[in-house]
Amino acid sequence: MKSKILTSFLAISLSLSLVACGGGSNNTDSSGTSTDASKSITKVEEGSEQNSDGEENSLTVWCWDPAFNIYSMDEAAKVYQQENPDFELNVIENSWDDIQTKLATAAVSGDLSTLPDIVLLNDNAIQKYVTTYPDLFESLENSGIDFANFGDSKCAYSVIDNNHYAVPFDNGAVIACYRTDILAEAGYTIEDFTDITWDEFIEKGKVVLEKTGKPMFSTQAGASDIILMMLQSAGASMFDENGNPNMVNNSVLYEVMENYESLVTNGILLEMSSWDQYIGSFTNSNVCSVINGCWIMASIQTAEDQSGKWAITNMPRLNNAENASNYSNNGGSSWAVLSSCKNKDLAYDFLGKTFAGSVEFYETILPKSGALATYLPAKDSDVYAQPHEFFSGESVFAKITEFAGKVPSNNTGVYYYEARDAIATAVTNVISGSDIDTELKAAEETVRFSMGQ
Amino acid sequence: MQKNTLNSKRNLIGWVFIIPAFLLIVMMYFYPMIKALILSFYSGVGANFKFVGISNYIHMFKDKVFMQALKNTFLYLIVQVPIMLMVALILATLLNDKTLKLKGLYRTAIFLPCATSLVSYAIIFRSIFAVDGIINLVLIKVGILETGYNFLAHPISARIVIIIALLWRWTGYNMVFFLAGLQGIDPAVYEAAKIDGASSIQSFFKVTVPLLKPTLILTAIISINGTLQLFDESVNLTYGGPANSTITMTHYIYDVSFKYVPNFGYAAAMAYLILVIVAILSFIQLKVGDKRE
Amino acid sequence: MNKFERKMKYFVLTVASIISVFPLYWMAISATNKSADILAGKMIPGRFALENFRNLVNTYNIGKAMTNSIKYSVLMTLASLIICSLAGYGFEIYHDKVKDKVMSILLLALMVPFVAILIPLFQMMSKLELLNTSLGFMLPTISTPFLIMLFRQNTKAFPYEIVEAARIDGCSELKIFVKFFIPTMKSTFAAAIIITFMNAWNSYLWPKVIMQTDESITMPILVASLKDGYFTDYGMLMLAVLLCTMPTVLFFFFLQKQFAEGIAGSVK
Repeated sequence: MKSKILTSFLAISLSLSLVACGGGSNNTDSSGTSTDASKSITKVEEGSEQNSDGEENSLTVWCWDPAFNIYSMDEAAKVYQQENPDFELNVIENSWDDIQTKLATAAVSGDLSTLPDIVLLNDNAIQKYVTTYPDLFESLENSGIDFANFGDSKCAYSVIDNNHYAVPFDNGAVIACYRTDILAEAGYTIEDFTDITWDEFIEKGKVVLEKTGKPMFSTQAGASDIILMMLQSAGASMFDENGNPNMVNNSVLYEVMENYESLVTNGILLEMSSWDQYIGSFTNSNVCSVINGCWIMASIQTAEDQSGKWAITNMPRLNNAENASNYSNNGGSSWAVLSSCKNKDLAYDFLGKTFAGSVEFYETILPKSGALATYLPAKDSDVYAQPHEFFSGESVFAKITEFAGKVPSNNTGVYYYEARDAIATAVTNVISGSDIDTELKAAEETVRFSMGQ
Repeated sequence: MQKNTLNSKRNLIGWVFIIPAFLLIVMMYFYPMIKALILSFYSGVGANFKFVGISNYIHMFKDKVFMQALKNTFLYLIVQVPIMLMVALILATLLNDKTLKLKGLYRTAIFLPCATSLVSYAIIFRSIFAVDGIINLVLIKVGILETGYNFLAHPISARIVIIIALLWRWTGYNMVFFLAGLQGIDPAVYEAAKIDGASSIQSFFKVTVPLLKPTLILTAIISINGTLQLFDESVNLTYGGPANSTITMTHYIYDVSFKYVPNFGYAAAMAYLILVIVAILSFIQLKVGDKRE
Repeated sequence: MNKFERKMKYFVLTVASIISVFPLYWMAISATNKSADILAGKMIPGRFALENFRNLVNTYNIGKAMTNSIKYSVLMTLASLIICSLAGYGFEIYHDKVKDKVMSILLLALMVPFVAILIPLFQMMSKLELLNTSLGFMLPTISTPFLIMLFRQNTKAFPYEIVEAARIDGCSELKIFVKFFIPTMKSTFAAAIIITFMNAWNSYLWPKVIMQTDESITMPILVASLKDGYFTDYGMLMLAVLLCTMPTVLFFFFLQKQFAEGIAGSVK
């Protein structure tokens, strides 16, 4: 009986595959819309002149995160459609990893036909991509978009050789969120942690640890996020102006490393072995603060029972560094227009009238997605001033937008990811007992090696 | 004479059976492989390549991260593959018993791990081995540890976690091949061994292992190959850390291609080194085990 | 076999099964919990299964992803099985020096790391105008050295006398393959079906590179995008992961009985 089932399965499969092999055209038809879609795209490229309706008025976008970026893009399309009813926007979901793979594959193989018109790029990768694949991206200098409406530090990510290459979108301004109830147990308020230095933070952190048994904050072990936030808060970078690695004699970086080491050895910073455990560390109330880009608020709010117990302020500043500030950035992304775009004017106009020109648009997307703008005019809007119940009823959005305006800009560097990983290795080794000088030297060597120096 | 024509006709039919698979492999593997070989003699950032001879190959031996990756990968290979194949073979033998109850359930259960999505098992492995995870709780209860140990934060224990994860995931997968292979052994052989007074353990080593040689070679080659191209565990379970102590070669190649400033020539050269290593190891396997009588 | 040995056997198998199943159990439990509970390590079922499901369906086109995944995996398994079983059989039954050499050359293909040939393959598909087609998606993995080798190694156990006897009866070579080889080797075919289906089901990198539209989304791609945002809903993620795992598991469960039936039944 059983053998019959299998035999007949195989017999069916044999005949089916013969059909599949014989009818190659049927096969492509069954893949349906995907084939059709690719054909119609080719058509546009070949003869956009003749194609008067529909296609000429449409744009394709790649981005990730349905609750955030994709939602915002769809809303932007609605705003734009009010004036241009024929406009069509085709948003295709692609994870950031996939966008990287596809951009590189297309660029190296020379077939740009599969690329969209607009793509979302992580801010840290823009320098790398525009420098490595200059033919892939379009300079926005003549696009009519006014970049003065965005914070300088945010724009700095996407300026290469004095040319703007992307329209800034979401905000990665660093916030320090504290559990006011835990601080109260140790006799502190949120004011005690506002505008302070790391030294003060460590002193107070020791008290909190002693009285409540909870470390101040947590991070993902082997990630260099905290290091890089501290570094940027003083306007410093892992690279010099010429793009060469600058680690060995970088006094700010040295101070940052010392700080980090002291935070960990004092038990104030808890290193978690993965991202999910990092999230768990604060949703499970194991730590009493979170220091990260403001997008972390979405994760904090999953612990519904902690509503009202959180308050937001700025991060601590470095003790000695010359340009120390209480503001920094972690994460964020921007919209780039690809050179394969056939409707560049449409793309410029669309971005210019939405992401770079509409307060109303930012007001629409904020409440549902929490997508905070780097578009400065938005911060005076009433929507941004709304109190946020979860975060002690404060108007946190206006506050964060204000923080964003104060973030010092620094040099990302083309070899940012190499340096970031090298620094992560250095930090890990320092924590296991190696000394900072040796590790910074090794990190700089690793980066120079990757750069072929 | 007639026999010869018949033979050559059959020989021809044999080729007809083989040709479709052969052509596809040539097109989909060998042609791109040659392209990649050519690429491995070029270097350059992004899409601008220039010929550099064998300097990519020299470069990689000076590359500390790649050398670390090579070491890690070999450690996984040497420790994990033999254990895994042994356990898989034992489980398959236990399951290859006509009188066993609940066979179907056991088989499915043990096969399950390789079907379980990486996303979920990475999350659960990390939480099992976390400082306040179940492993630490047990070790503290038993009295082996005093406080929780952060397994993923130390090089040696992080590698052990990866090896355990690999064992967990792939043992059932290999068991499937052994189960299929065991069907080829005539039960009469075991009967004969039993009459000769062999214990279960003796007949395992004297009957099962030698008769399963073709399957053993197959699984060994697949496992060696799989381990040398190990990617998922390194990326998802430990992120290659701490300090690159668990990173694998393919993980690093992927980073060089897509995460860092792309250098596809260098990536191709590193991939070729993997290919040469696997080829040598597999060749030895085949030479040792695949002699025809 | 004595009683103790028998008990040991059950004990070992039970322990192995529990260890193997635990993460799946945890995954199923987590699919009914909300994000914060999962990270808190909750191990008992919750009441959020429906909510997770609603969120998933509202955010993602899971129906489309399921249909696509099933379509691709079934087509791939069929095509792959036919081409590779024929080749494996051919290499063993008609083996001579030349074919043995060809086989060892084909084995080289087993050793190609996929990242290395990704770019040349993409270039080829773009020249053949196969980007965004299911054919382009399937072509590179229809014929795999691994499957050919599986069939060839297991054909070694296929009694050559059957072939000779069938030839004397006047069977054509193809008929011998279909009528005698396939039924005899059903445990091998079952193993091959499962492995191929699973590989096709889980394939990720290549479809992501070559398929560029939302219409072509598959389950692994959907799962990957679930954890890509600034914020991960672990309850929704676990539900998606569970849905992504079940087909392979069910497939295995229904085919695994074939492993138990030996060469004996249909031949002797």
